[in-house]
Amino acid sequence: MTDLFTLAISAILINNIILSKFFGMCPFLGVSRKTSSAIGMGAAVLFVIVGASCITYGLHYLVLVPLGIEYMQLITFILVIASFVQLTEIIIKKFSPVLYKSLGIYLPLITTNCAVLFVAKDNITQGFNISEMLTYSFSVPLGFMLVLYIFSAIRERLDSSKVPASWVGNPIALVVAGLMAIAFTGFAGLV
Amino acid sequence: MIKATLMMLVVGGLLGLILGIAEKVFFVEKDERSEAVSAMLPGYNCGGCGFPGCSGLAGALVSKDVKTVCCKPCKAEQRQAIADYLASTVGPDGTNVIVKA
Repeated sequence: MTDLFTLAISAILINNIILSKFFGMCPFLGVSRKTSSAIGMGAAVLFVIVGASCITYGLHYLVLVPLGIEYMQLITFILVIASFVQLTEIIIKKFSPVLYKSLGIYLPLITTNCAVLFVAKDNITQGFNISEMLTYSFSVPLGFMLVLYIFSAIRERLDSSKVPASWVGNPIALVVAGLMAIAFTGFAGLV
Repeated sequence: MIKATLMMLVVGGLLGLILGIAEKVFFVEKDERSEAVSAMLPGYNCGGCGFPGCSGLAGALVSKDVKTVCCKPCKAEQRQAIADYLASTVGPDGTNVIVKA
């Protein structure tokens, strides 16, 4: 139990997917203008990562390993992830047209969010068992959501503050991202 | 090799089946004008109009949220074509949309 807790804390804070591994930068900069769309994006990524990880984990140990075709891992994982993102898109379009609108092109782009493929592959390379796999694939997107939320809250503040003309918009956002990454290195050695 | 090919076929077929069923179950009524308009836009998804992608602008045009075809990379005649299309086509609510090119 403590092992799982350590795994979760380290995935959320210490080895944060955005700020220390630099995966998933596209939605990090793209959908962080409003906190509401940041939460929506975080939830969509959470759903995709948990779902895709479970399917790819099962697929790897129940199909690829018995057939001895582990070399097909990458391409099957991409297939599963792409289909899962499509499914997420269909569901969001049905149940939350507002969220669908605010995510726009970034929703189908979760397919190419390398955080998803990273978690799916890392579950296998680290040799996780099922409970570790579930904990890991739940806490990595939680870390993603947390950082995306903090970043969008800072950007909302920046919109109403005086920023030098040449820094307005993305330049100051990139500076904020850098400062956040430095701040998150403070968590190193926590566990 | 054959095993790998068969496995991809089966997995791909299964996932396609699931998506096909999901598309039917979660069917959403769509205004076909917004699809036609996004086909007429350049499709760069540049965001210059202030909407997330071309389909965002198309949706806003059809729902009368914007009054001009504010697509920056469009040529003048493309903007005119979109305005003409929207003026001449009647939507499901029985009205057409008048926008400036």
